[in-house]
Amino acid sequence: MAKIDIFVNDQPVSVKEGTLLLKVLEAQKISVPTLCHHKDLKPEGSCRLCSVEVEVDEQREMVTSCNYPVREPIRVWTETETVIKHRRMLAEMLLGRWPNVPAIKKIARQCGVTESRFTSDLTDPNPKACILCTHCVRACAEFAQEHIIDFAGRGIKRHVAMPFEKVDPHCIGCTSCAYVCPTGALRIVDDLNNPVNPTLIRNHGMKVNAEMATLDAHQCRMREVGTANIVSVMNAYDLLPVMNYRFGTHEEVYKIDGGILKEKYFTQNMPDGCWKGCSMACAKTIDNFELRTGPYKGQLVTVDGPEYETAGGGSNMGLFDMDAIAEFNFYCDTYGIDTISGATCIAFVMEAYEAGIIDKTVTGGLDLHFGQSGSVLELLHQMSRGEGFGVDVGHGIRWLKKHWGETLNLTDEQKAFLQDIGMEVKGLEVSEYMCKESLAQQLGYGMAVKGPQHDEAWLIFMDMVNNEIPTYEDKAQALYYFPLWRTWFGLYGLCKLCWNDVTPADNKMTAEPQKVPDHVNNYFKFVEGMTGRKLNEEIMLNESARVHNLQRLMCLMLGKGRRNEDYMPYRGIGPVTKVEYESRQERYDKQLKEVLGIDPAGKTTEQKMALIREYREEQYDKTLDVVYKRRGWDPNGVPTVERLKELGIDMPELVAIVEEYKRSL
Amino acid sequence: MITINNRDQLEWTPGMTVRDLLTAMNFTYVLIMITVNGELVDDDDYDTFKILDNASVRAIHIHHGG
Repeated sequence: MAKIDIFVNDQPVSVKEGTLLLKVLEAQKISVPTLCHHKDLKPEGSCRLCSVEVEVDEQREMVTSCNYPVREPIRVWTETETVIKHRRMLAEMLLGRWPNVPAIKKIARQCGVTESRFTSDLTDPNPKACILCTHCVRACAEFAQEHIIDFAGRGIKRHVAMPFEKVDPHCIGCTSCAYVCPTGALRIVDDLNNPVNPTLIRNHGMKVNAEMATLDAHQCRMREVGTANIVSVMNAYDLLPVMNYRFGTHEEVYKIDGGILKEKYFTQNMPDGCWKGCSMACAKTIDNFELRTGPYKGQLVTVDGPEYETAGGGSNMGLFDMDAIAEFNFYCDTYGIDTISGATCIAFVMEAYEAGIIDKTVTGGLDLHFGQSGSVLELLHQMSRGEGFGVDVGHGIRWLKKHWGETLNLTDEQKAFLQDIGMEVKGLEVSEYMCKESLAQQLGYGMAVKGPQHDEAWLIFMDMVNNEIPTYEDKAQALYYFPLWRTWFGLYGLCKLCWNDVTPADNKMTAEPQKVPDHVNNYFKFVEGMTGRKLNEEIMLNESARVHNLQRLMCLMLGKGRRNEDYMPYRGIGPVTKVEYESRQERYDKQLKEVLGIDPAGKTTEQKMALIREYREEQYDKTLDVVYKRRGWDPNGVPTVERLKELGIDMPELVAIVEEYKRSL
Repeated sequence: MITINNRDQLEWTPGMTVRDLLTAMNFTYVLIMITVNGELVDDDDYDTFKILDNASVRAIHIHHGG
């Protein structure tokens, strides 16, 4: 951004274009009185106390500095006779009406005013009177986007009120208004659930509210399009699952990204948080959507979404058609089908169909080429009705691989192919990220206790793009911290999105920006405010590790929870087919040459694929070893008794599970 | 030649700015932090901060979503 040279009180100052003048003055340590200004609210310029004189093209004028962006070389004077006279008049009028309000007295002192000539019937002696500063009204609009309170009345009757002077049931009780009130006119009279320290909770919560109000529009746009904001991001970085994770990008992604949703689909441009008081409000809906198929065909319905994963599921099925994805979204919700599992499973079926492993005699006549939206929706309806091929697909990928292996006359090669392309681990379908170029993400998926859900570890950017965790040990540490931190949200029933879907403006200056330390601290303070218990990183990690290890032992009790359960299908690790290899030939050839020291020249694609596969599977295994060690598990992925002791969960019944496993070896 | 994230190479051109590098690498991510030879570059300076030849650039994408 360009720098502009200006003069402030005849002193030269260089400022970034667009910087608000009040910020420039504050940076120069120049005292300017303000009343309507608040650091967490958009500038309004209504009180006019911050007025200064500005000269542009030899023309002088008074401007409010709080909302005056510097866009050209100007001269500024902050203490001219005109400015001082103007501020004194304002201060005297304020003091005349609210003589005992500390915030007003402070401003008056700043303006050199101690007495007012304007005492009248309007004079309010209450030291906590409302001074009509606009903070609360703006906070309601900007923090919570609710517009519940506003000004009513005119002139001397102007006052803050809810509609019709009644308590509005739509007030979400976020307390933003009280947080920004400079006088105490607005008070919080009820603290739900009797927290130990409600002020601590509010102060940290309001920080997030303020960040959402001031930063979200320039960061993740969660208020605008929700999690669908990352559809285009994933596509740009070759990470969007396309046609059963074969590819990571597609030229028609603009048909299903956040842009099209915002432009043509999302209708409720208003807060729609999952819970009362959430200022992120990332949930979005489509109203009056006309269904084309199924039992509600022709009806206008409301679609709850789609979010990123559902749109990503669409690309995974080759659906670059938002109408089809919205209908898929609606019927998955209606039938109780997870959009991720549904989409990933159907994507697998589609690839099997295109590969000729199954045909219309298996699908009941359905054409299941990628992109066949009518067939996708019909499959959903069949699942719901318990009819036809939908019954088989409803069992999921693991079942289908076994069933087809047993009932179709498949070659060993075809059976192996199905194992490679069926994107499930532990029986759960993989979520919608194309992870084959990120070893850490592969492990994050493979080792997740409940199956390949990205909420346990999402390390694609740290690993693949940033190259921040290049060694096995780096990856193991990331696969220690992040899964435990993300599991911790679940333990407390807290949403993860306020952790890193908005980040503080100064996050970059911290030692570990990926952890978003200030927001981790917000969660710790929330727990402290509710329970009185102080947390730190070590306590948090151990809390989470106890549950994580307990879950792993429960898996062991059920005959699972061992190393063989922690592998990704090869589609998640590297190219299964020639077309995949060739779509990224430069990357893979480079890996052969620079990492393995093998000249790819003269080798067939099949030969190169085999070499890449051997290398990548070996890397996966080696990393698995190091992560197990970091987690305190044995080489088979089973928690050691020593680890249980460290965590204080070495109860006899748990130790017995480990001992029984050892005896079985 | 510029090295990005201790791994990727990008041909240096005279007058290259951080913005030019982001464009060349197709780094469209919003939450990105850039250091050039260890110096953190302010977002507002991407258009004006000149990268010298042989610089080591870190382009750290702060993960969100997921």
